[in-house]
Amino acid sequence: MRMMVVYEKGADLRYIGHLDLLRTLQRALRRSGLPIQYSRGFNPHVNLGFAAPLSVGVVGMREMMEVPLEASVTSQEFIDAMNAVLPRRLQIKACYELPDKFPTLMSLVAGHRYTIEFSKGDDGDRVFAAAPAFMELKEYITVRKTKSGEKPTDIRPFIKSAAYEQVEDEYKIHLETISTAAGSLKPSLWFDCLCEFAGVKPVLCTIYRDAILSLDANGELVPMEELSNA
Amino acid sequence: MINDFEALLPRVEKPSRYTGSEMNTNIKTFDQAEVTFAFCFPDTYEVAMSHLGMRILYGILNNLPYALCERVCMPWIDMLNEMKQHNVPLMSLESRTVLKDFDIVGFTLQYEMSYTNILEMLHMGRIPVKSAERGENDPIVVAGGPCAFNPEPLHLFIDAFMIGDGEQVIIELTDVINECKKNNLPRKECLRRLAKLRGVYVPSLYKDEYNEDGTLKSIEPIDDAAPKSVLKCIITDMDHAYVPTDPPVPFQQVVFDRIMLEIMRGCTRGCRFCQAGMLYRPVRERSVEKLVQLAKDSVKNTGYEEISLSSLSSSDYSCLAELSTRLVEELRDQRVSLSLPSLRVDKFVQDTLTQTQKVKKSSLTFAPEAGTQRLRDVINKNVTEDDLVKTLNSAFSNGWNAVKLYFMTGLPTETDEDLLGIAEVAKAAAGAYYSIPKDKRVKGLRITCSASVFVPKPFTPFQWCAQDRPETVREKQQLVRESFYPLRSARFNYHDSALSQLEACFAVGDRRLANVLYRAWELGCFLDGWHEHFRYDLWSQAFDDCGLTIDFYAHRTRNLDELLPWDHIDAGISKSFLKNEFIKATKAETTKDCREGCNGCGLQKIKGVCKQCE
Repeated sequence: MRMMVVYEKGADLRYIGHLDLLRTLQRALRRSGLPIQYSRGFNPHVNLGFAAPLSVGVVGMREMMEVPLEASVTSQEFIDAMNAVLPRRLQIKACYELPDKFPTLMSLVAGHRYTIEFSKGDDGDRVFAAAPAFMELKEYITVRKTKSGEKPTDIRPFIKSAAYEQVEDEYKIHLETISTAAGSLKPSLWFDCLCEFAGVKPVLCTIYRDAILSLDANGELVPMEELSNA
Repeated sequence: MINDFEALLPRVEKPSRYTGSEMNTNIKTFDQAEVTFAFCFPDTYEVAMSHLGMRILYGILNNLPYALCERVCMPWIDMLNEMKQHNVPLMSLESRTVLKDFDIVGFTLQYEMSYTNILEMLHMGRIPVKSAERGENDPIVVAGGPCAFNPEPLHLFIDAFMIGDGEQVIIELTDVINECKKNNLPRKECLRRLAKLRGVYVPSLYKDEYNEDGTLKSIEPIDDAAPKSVLKCIITDMDHAYVPTDPPVPFQQVVFDRIMLEIMRGCTRGCRFCQAGMLYRPVRERSVEKLVQLAKDSVKNTGYEEISLSSLSSSDYSCLAELSTRLVEELRDQRVSLSLPSLRVDKFVQDTLTQTQKVKKSSLTFAPEAGTQRLRDVINKNVTEDDLVKTLNSAFSNGWNAVKLYFMTGLPTETDEDLLGIAEVAKAAAGAYYSIPKDKRVKGLRITCSASVFVPKPFTPFQWCAQDRPETVREKQQLVRESFYPLRSARFNYHDSALSQLEACFAVGDRRLANVLYRAWELGCFLDGWHEHFRYDLWSQAFDDCGLTIDFYAHRTRNLDELLPWDHIDAGISKSFLKNEFIKATKAETTKDCREGCNGCGLQKIKGVCKQCE
């Protein structure tokens, strides 16, 4: 059987890189006593698959992975066995048994929901005030650093929507992004562009990925975990 | 809200070095403990988290219901600069408590070139660097580990040293400090009480004097609480000693990212250059039954995918074949691999090779240490080239094709013939490979020979010996390098001589070096063990400024009757044994392994400690 697993990667762990997270989850699975699967070959490792890697520095509120198992266990058994052995800032929130023919999670990623949090104050105020106008732009070209060098990219097509919120001494921008075959957009890059547009130096912020999105039967962007009930 | 510390993290390399929250660090909160201990490792997180001693003592202290232990590491240079610029102090990984707010701050002394990091960490932790400047509200600063056997170069900075096995004494020390804190006793009285514990050395209770030629005249207690000689602590029953089966498991890869199963402590070989072999006497084994249980518990509690057997000479463990067979059987289902490090060339049973191979092939490392049999006899490394070739033969026919060979240059009595012998050993290793038919060996032979520079260490028969001067070291390295030119499959690496030179100074140095250390730190020396940060020019200046020379400490042959700076520390082995060993070395006479009969090293005077001499 295969489990779709939703977990939180807390604020304290946001600097843990992708491969380090993989190793940590593999070690937790090994400790859990669950009927895990090992890869074949010279250096066998615990099998699991992520839906989408998370940028270092971003807090993951509802991250997604799939775990194949050799025998049947209930969702609650899975959650209990894992949470007993995971670090306290890395905890399983939900898990769903997947039908056999369910595609890999990675192939279902269609977008992301982020929250960008930053403090009120001179620069923060200007950034927050500039955001609606920034969203009105038809295009915004910035230079993206990739493995093959620097290339100018229009970031606007990657953004579906933005919503704004003020809580006490903080601003929050809720961002929905679209992933395509052409790639996806790092929220930190979008925010840096916004700061540039507002005419201030990059403002210190905390970024949360609230959900990984997929397209449902009607072509709407919904949190991926909702597909497990369909 | 983002606090000052967190604001620094996005600016530095590998921020996860500083954020903690690893598996198995879910410990009690700061206010739940009567007494708090900051375990400080004077090197980066990756090195610290690879250290077995830290895993042991961290576990022991946190298992005491009234105590709390948190970890503190040396930040890397980028983080250090950010912290200074933004006035952020050094804090523990767990609760982010500033060093100065702990009751006890303890450093582990693994390597002389980490000493400046200690000064930097104290300073960054808002604690006065010099003991004499600390007030009633400052923590008691303690230290232990192998380098504590010559504590003098650190006497200005450390309030109390723990000598020997730390498992028991660290509890006693913590209890005394807790008691003094509860009763509000003055710092001085607390230190006096600590001095009365077995294995604790309080340097402020001793006074040193020097002869006109600069050698030590005396070092004597000036307080009746201080013993004339401080005897090291020894754990006698390893099966009942604490073993950390649930240590913190780092997120990022560290140097030794695996379970380290300590199968025994001590070594019976008696290699004459080896400080560990002398300091950790006598040899004490754990039982197979106990070790299998510990291994299972460790896998269960950590999820690690690899176990290594840890000791000074694992192939000397009396039940090695049985142990490795049992471990491979027990852990196969969980795909846990077993690796056997520091194997000795003369005892590498084919059985064991086949066992480890069942799970995973690990790299082969051997330490012949010297290029000729004569010099190997001088250093009492009782291994022949024949042993090496036989062992390699069986390894190469079992699928290995890479081997690392470790050597030293600058050993006492060394000649050009000994140096050229290094390439001969490499040739013999290659011969062992090519003697196997082509279809029975794995392609691509790689032989890597590394040579370190001999450093005289306290409590070894070579403690009186001079280290080669840098120009001699370079000439010798060049000679060996050239002798490797014709060898196709072998490479030769060698170490920097300047770093080894300072290592020698601080290994065998006296109290006056504390001033040099302080001055070097003032001038900006730290992270010296990392080549890119090592500043020889600043160290030279520090020696000059203090009116001392590197030459006196590193390159001077000591008289056998000279009072040595560590003579008031009792490591269990007698000075007469060491002298006798030194004299035998100069005649290339070997001393037998002490499992073959007691050599009278001095441990016999402490009752019930050494099984070999009873």
